[in-house]
Parts: sequence; structure tokens; C-alpha cells
Amino acid sequence: MARLFNTLAQRRDTWSGWYANSKLAVLVLGSLAILLSATLLQVSFGAFPLTLVDAWYTVFDPDVLFSVDVWRAFLLGDEIPKWFTPRQHVVWNIRLPRILVGVLVGANLAVSGAIFQIITRNELASPYILGVSDGAGLVVLLTLTMFSGLLPVMPVLAALGGGVAFLLVYAIAWKNGTSPVRLVLAGVVVGTVFSSVQRALFFFIDNLGVVMSAQTWLSGSLLGTDWAQVRIALPFTVLAMILAFVVTQELDVLLLGEDTADSLGMPVEKVRFAVAGIAILSTAAAIAVAGLVGFVGLIVPHIVRNIVGSDSRRLLIGCLFLGPALLVGADVGARLALSPIQLPVGIITGLVGGPYFLYLMRKKENLGEV
Amino acid sequence: MTNRQSTRSDQALGSDQSDTQETERETTAELRSTITEFSGTDLVIGYPGTDGPVINGESITVPPDEVTALIGPNGSGKSTLLKGLANKIAPDDGTVLLDGQAVDSLGTKELARKLGLLSQENVAPDGISVADLVERGRYPHCGFFESLTAEDRAVVDDAIQLAGVAHLRERDVGSLSGGQKQLVWIAMALAQDTEVLLLDEPTTFLDPHHQLEVMQVVETLRDESDTTVVLVLHDIGQAARYADHVIALKDGSVYAHGAPESVITSQLLADVFGIEAVVLDTDYGPQVIPLDPLHDECRSE
Repeated sequence: MARLFNTLAQRRDTWSGWYANSKLAVLVLGSLAILLSATLLQVSFGAFPLTLVDAWYTVFDPDVLFSVDVWRAFLLGDEIPKWFTPRQHVVWNIRLPRILVGVLVGANLAVSGAIFQIITRNELASPYILGVSDGAGLVVLLTLTMFSGLLPVMPVLAALGGGVAFLLVYAIAWKNGTSPVRLVLAGVVVGTVFSSVQRALFFFIDNLGVVMSAQTWLSGSLLGTDWAQVRIALPFTVLAMILAFVVTQELDVLLLGEDTADSLGMPVEKVRFAVAGIAILSTAAAIAVAGLVGFVGLIVPHIVRNIVGSDSRRLLIGCLFLGPALLVGADVGARLALSPIQLPVGIITGLVGGPYFLYLMRKKENLGEV
Repeated sequence: MTNRQSTRSDQALGSDQSDTQETERETTAELRSTITEFSGTDLVIGYPGTDGPVINGESITVPPDEVTALIGPNGSGKSTLLKGLANKIAPDDGTVLLDGQAVDSLGTKELARKLGLLSQENVAPDGISVADLVERGRYPHCGFFESLTAEDRAVVDDAIQLAGVAHLRERDVGSLSGGQKQLVWIAMALAQDTEVLLLDEPTTFLDPHHQLEVMQVVETLRDESDTTVVLVLHDIGQAARYADHVIALKDGSVYAHGAPESVITSQLLADVFGIEAVVLDTDYGPQVIPLDPLHDECRSE
């Protein structure tokens, strides 16, 4: 009898595992489909018109795909080979890298958003919650107004600024340890001060072009990104993603709350700081190449959690695919909707994200009850 | 060692009734080497930033392999003592010994393999199944990169069975009632598979049915495993019925300790809880019928 029950329980386990995984598979395939169609649109349309067939022939052009020189140029920053046709140049050097940067930024924001929602145990947390966006934004404005000599390394400086703000938030929140609420409140404190300084700095800019570029950067944009941005973001993204998947077990336990995690033998403070560090690394990689793209890191983890549940590994895998799909999809709108004017992609994600959040608020009555 | 316990331990070891006195003595000696010693000495426990310590220089010894209940009014330091014993609040002074080792000298995971603490209030995240939640109880047994082994899964299955939540296995924890959730949390603590299990008010806020379910799990633990259970109870009747040993706390001091029959008296209820009550001696241990609250003038006499 007991054996029968055991077998039944095992069956049920296998089946429910299969069911959850199949939902994840649907999510992943759906995301890939969106990503593929967005890529198709991005590559074909624009100021240099191509037919769909031409565009795809160029993307899968074996001369480019299997050329060592080309990949050295893309990934190591060597000279672009002289034999590139204008068409190859447009597809491979302008449109594809922009999509790739979008993929990296989307994955980073979604995964770091999921991590921040877990460690703050707050569904409203985003990658920018612990002062990161304000720290990065302040550095950007400082660079543009006072240290214009540092412009070439501005992305890296911005990411560093975000990291410093995060450490500051942690220091302020620390009092015999931290708690999710203290961290969020400290984030608000640091954010308020930093954003005031930011607004003050705007008055010191007399060049309208600089104001425009600061605005673009603060809204988050993939305008003008190319292989240089891929080279900046790729290593950090790969590192952050590997680390994030290494700590899924820790994330699962953190989600149960500090007391329980503590009882289960987890050094909660150390783990939380380390995990937040991974998320900051990931966020920084995104900020460095695209500025402050809003809402992706807030909404994608929500959608994924609604579909696959709170299991951290499934959640992160879902984010890894849906984040890029959403961001690249939104960038199609940003680039082509009002052509020839290109909007920052952050504006599109905000326009899509706001109503989705409203829908979520109406549908889930307990949302926001911390 | 009480008579009651040695009978039980013999059963646990499966020794025959017809065994000679000598073998019985041997089994007891053998048992003594495997049971878990758990005690706190001269504990001073307080919270940072508050005036004085909550617990001031108390020592307690928990009888191994038995159920010990901490009782006392609100603010008497029951939960604080429990957290101090579990090293969740580092005591300002004194030591807690588990198997002869100071608990603060053990690594966090090492301690969590020997001692489990279920806090009073637990918030389960939405979107995970009961089985997933219980599996997380195996965290201290898993290495950094390891996933669950077959042995881990067997322990999880046992814990789910023991807590009586097998029929809820695939349900989303968020969709369960308060009582069911508590049983699931207990299953998680059981999956931790510790020698000592501390439960902070496991029955408070539950309906009578689930209170009895929880206490039945405690009873099973006492009768069928070598787990030492320490629990905080608000219901004195439950303490009397299910505990082998009762510790009554008042204002952070141990007021009385011993078998329920000797501790739970109308005098103690007046002194510690400030109530006038009748204590009836029943087959289920002493039962308390509270009559009236006593006011301060009466208590001070």
C-alpha cells in the first residue's frame, strides 16, 4: 500500500515537474518567436531599404558568418574588412549589433529585476531600486557638464556610479544588519538626494545638444549602438548570468524570508549582499550601453512569475528569454514607429509597461501588500 | 532518567520485554551516548538598543528525546529564550551547548543540520508548491552546487507524510488555509532532519482541528523518533497534555520547571499568569479552567 502511494507520489511529482517545465518551454519558444520577428523587421526596414529576402540572405551570408577577420573586427575591435558591401555594412555593422545590444540589455534588466524582487521580497522592486539609477544618472550628468574629457569612458563610469550608490544605500540601511524595508527606504533617501543634484546640474548646461544627449541617456536608448557596445556588455553579462544561475538555490531560500533562511543555516546578510552584487553587475552592464531603460526589469519578472511560478531557476530562465524579446520588440517600435525620428526605447517600454502594470494592479488585489 | 522514558527508548530500540535487567541497562547506556544533550547556562539575552536584557542569567536543561514546553504570559521572554537557544540572537553572556559543543562555534549550516527553529510567523511566497517548499528544508544538507539526492527526496517524502500534508503536495502554498500552511512549514522544518527542533508558538492562531494536527505531529516525533522538541505554547492545557517537561517563565526568569503535574498548579497560574484558575487532574494530564483575572493588588500579595 505504502509502495503504491510512493509510486503515485513520484508519478505526480514527475508530472507536475513536466507541466511546469512545459509552461516554461512555451514561454521560451514564444519569446524566441517575438525576438525572431523583431529581428526580421529591424534588419529589413530603415533608411537603407532592403527586401526581406535580401536582408535574410545578408544575415546568413556564409562569407561573413565564417570569416575570422569579420569576427575579430566585431568582437575584438579590429578593422572592418575592406570587402564589405554597403548592404553587408548596414546589416552587419549597424542593424544586427543594435539587436544584439538589445538582447544583452533586456536579459540583464530582466534577470537583475527578478533578483532584486527576491532579495527585497517586494514585487515592485526593479533593477534601479537601490539607488542604482540615480547614482548612474548623476555620474552621466557630471561627465557631460564638468568632465567632458572623460566622455569615451562614460558608460563604465555610469555603471560605477550605480555601484557606489548601491554601497551607499547599504551603508545607510545597515544597523545590526539590514532588512528589505530598510534597504528600500535607504534607496529612496539616496535617490532623492542624487536626483536633486542631477536636476540642479541641468541648469549648468548651456549647450542644447548636450541636454538632448543627457535626456536620451536618462530615458534609455539603443540609438547608435554598435559592436563596441557589444564588446563592453558581453563579458559582464555572461559573468553575471553564470553567477545568477549558480545562486538559484540561495535565491529559493531567501524568498522564504530572513528568519526561515537563517534557521536553514544561511548567512543571510552575506548572501544577500553577494546576490545584490551580482544583480548590480548585471544592471551596470545594461546601463553602460543603453542608459536607464525603465520598466523592463519591473515587468518581465512579473509576467514570467505569473506563468512559471516562483521557482528561481525557472524564473531566471524565463527572464533570460522574455527580457530580450520585450526589449528588442520595443526597440522596433522606437526605431520605426515615427521614422525618421527615433525615440529612446525607454519611452516605448514605459508606454507599454505602464498600462500593463495598471492591469496587474486591477487583477491582483494583493499586489503591493508588502 | 524517568521510568517513562526508558520504557519508550526500549521500544524504540526494539528490545524484547523478556530481556534481562542487564541488557536493559546496557541499552540505556547505549542510548545515552546517542541522545542529544541540549542546555543553556547563565544565559543573558537581550535586543540591541533596548534597556536591559530580556532573559537575565537563566540556565535551562532540555531533557533529550522529550517534549519540553515553554509557557508564560506575553512578554515573559519565551520567544527570546527560544531564539537565544537557537543562536538567532547571540546571547550577551552564557553558553548554549548542543552535544557538548557551543552552538555559536558551529558553522551556520552545521548548526542548521542539528537544530531547527520554526518562527512564529512565516510568509510563504506565492507560486511555489508544497513539495517545493518542503524541499527547501534540505538546504543545510546540500553543498553549494549540489542538487537533491535520492536520500534527500526520501527525507522530504517522510516529512510530508509525518506532517500529514501528502494530499496537498502539489498545491500552491499561497492557496492554502492558515492551518494547512502551518503544517507545511512544520513539514519543511522536519525535512531539515535535526536532532533538536524548536517551535515558536506553532498552534497560536490556528483553529482547534489544526491545533490538534500540529500537536499530533509533535506527539509522533516524541514517540517515533529521537528528536528533542522544545516549543512555546500559549495554551496551558496543551502544554499539560503533550509535554513531558514544562518550563514556566515570568519576567525573563524561570519560575518553575518539571513534569506538568508538578508545575501546573493554581498557585503558579496565579503567580505567573495572574489568573485565578482551577486545575483538574484528568487522564489527559492537568487541565486548567480559568476563572477570573487577578489584578495587580492581589498579585503583589
